[in-house]
Amino acid sequence: MTLSQGRAIFIWGTVISTVIFLGLTYDSISKMPKRTHAEELSDAVADGKWTWQRYNCNDCHTILGIGGYYAPDLTKVMSQRDPEWTKQFLKDPHKVWPAKRRMPNLHLTDNEIGNLVAFLTWVNGIDTNGWPPKPMAVAAAGSTPLPGEAVFRAQGCSACHKLNGVGGDIGPDLTHVGSTRTPDWIKQQLENPRSHFPNSPMPSFSKLSPKDMKDLVDFLSSLK
Amino acid sequence: MKYETQKIAYQYFVAATLLFGLQVIFGLLTGAKYVWDYDPLMNIIPFNTSRAIHINLLVVWLLIGFMGGTYYLVPEEAETDIYSPRLAAVQLYLFVAIGVAAIIGYLAGWSWGMPFLEQPTVLKFGIVIVALIFLFNIFMTMMKTKKWTVIQGVLLGGLVMLALLFLFGIFFVRNLSTQYYWWWWVIHLWVEGAWELVAGSIIAFILLKMTGVDRELVEKWLYVEVGLVLFTGIAGTGHHYYWIGTPGYWLWVGGIFSALEPVPILFMVFDTLRDVREKKIEIENKIPLYWAVGSAVMHFLGAGVWGFAHTLPQINKWTHGTQVTASHGHFAFFGAYVMINLTMIYFAVPRITGVVRKGHGRSLVALRFMVFSIFFMVLALAIAGIVQSYLQRILGMDYLTTQDYLKLWYAVMWVSGWGVVTGVFIYIFDFFSMGRPPKITA
Repeated sequence: MTLSQGRAIFIWGTVISTVIFLGLTYDSISKMPKRTHAEELSDAVADGKWTWQRYNCNDCHTILGIGGYYAPDLTKVMSQRDPEWTKQFLKDPHKVWPAKRRMPNLHLTDNEIGNLVAFLTWVNGIDTNGWPPKPMAVAAAGSTPLPGEAVFRAQGCSACHKLNGVGGDIGPDLTHVGSTRTPDWIKQQLENPRSHFPNSPMPSFSKLSPKDMKDLVDFLSSLK
Repeated sequence: MKYETQKIAYQYFVAATLLFGLQVIFGLLTGAKYVWDYDPLMNIIPFNTSRAIHINLLVVWLLIGFMGGTYYLVPEEAETDIYSPRLAAVQLYLFVAIGVAAIIGYLAGWSWGMPFLEQPTVLKFGIVIVALIFLFNIFMTMMKTKKWTVIQGVLLGGLVMLALLFLFGIFFVRNLSTQYYWWWWVIHLWVEGAWELVAGSIIAFILLKMTGVDRELVEKWLYVEVGLVLFTGIAGTGHHYYWIGTPGYWLWVGGIFSALEPVPILFMVFDTLRDVREKKIEIENKIPLYWAVGSAVMHFLGAGVWGFAHTLPQINKWTHGTQVTASHGHFAFFGAYVMINLTMIYFAVPRITGVVRKGHGRSLVALRFMVFSIFFMVLALAIAGIVQSYLQRILGMDYLTTQDYLKLWYAVMWVSGWGVVTGVFIYIFDFFSMGRPPKITA
């Protein structure tokens, strides 16, 4: 090989790859507004994005899978969490979710919290080509989870309670709660925890809609 | 050293070396937060601040090292003195000042909040000014030359590409997906494009000088290497466009091009070894060569093998956003860029100071400490990442719950980190034992 052949490889290699890349970039940028439902990208969402950046959230959390690996990925978090719960959590993280690995209290204003939740809700709707994938074990089981399980997740119950070995230690293990407690007892516990245990740190879930409450009670009662 | 103004490189190498030391200390601090749940520094230096400082220092010291390397290399290639040594000094002080301001800013909670590009916008404009001064100085120096070498051309191309791409990381974009689309133009096209050009021309220069092989041979293969790097690397950016709100065809384009990315790196390994084998002059100071060969091998393992392992979308779907990426990042940066910088420093500093040392044992001890420790560290992170992918993505376990199962591997990572730090501090000690440059004679 001669020097000029080497130069030809350099020039053509660079040109071909650049042309492909710029062509696809043009196409991607024109398609991304639809894939990210940009019509719903309100000022609150943009402000929320700035709040997200301003507090450097991305160096602990990943989003779209990019960032620090120290805290949960937040791409689809709003499919898992109730907006009200998220707001309370952001107000005082450790109080709402007493995890061993802590998130510092950022002393966010209510406005910043509202914008952040708007931002995360918008991110939740981005078409990410199916990422993160549905856990294989869940997909393999084939059964559709009970609707109450989604409520259980959205309300962050596993911050304090264990289910099948997964979850916190603040409250009792709920793996077999359906075999020791009646549905009525569970419903009352959810609505007014201190009626059973005067010193219980558990918050009341009476704010749940009647349907969510029934689904949650059905789910917990099924755990035998 | 042939030209008086090459001495300016020494100051750059001092700054790079000191910041390298600081970078690994922040690495230990960041790593400790994975090992122990209770973080006494949570409200002073939380994880995000510590990580931002750790990765920013990495980028800054590598860039300062590249700049020093450029100031050393260009006079010899262009056969003329640096256009303005004073401007080169001003540029260094300005860059270091911006770096210090950024770190103090992070500690005070002042951040722009995109990973690696956390520098507030006003500081980014300062960085642009630094880049412009640098390019101006290098360009004016090269303009004085009577012959343009391929090494100079590739180096200048890489530096211009580096500066231009930075512009894509300055502006706030409302849409997170689009922001990340352009963000990768800085992050990916730097490390798998511009930086490869800079590093490739530096290593070509060193091998040329040390082994005495024909210039035409070195430059021919430099062309082929950077041609293949850019061919696979530019469209290979697509492996970052799988899951961020971009169209599905990137799964194909990114997969195919990035699967080819190890090819030019393997090529570099053979190229380096061939030059060493076919050397025409006796090599007296072998230390830079150990680092160069070490870099070629670690570059291939860290960027090539570790990168290939999770670059295909079928695998990346499960490993994306886990410690697998952290493992790859540490391995690739160390092999490709840390070791290249140290190769350059070990090549240039004795030539600048004129100090001839009898033994080189300490440098080899530093090399072994760093290489073995990094290897254990990335192995621990890779295992942590694979276990995490399994628990989180296969079993569907909650992220925070998975972390309890990774504690052992975080501990291995952290202990290995102490090995890396030990190696780095042996290197720092060794650096300062190579003497100081004689005073510039007026």
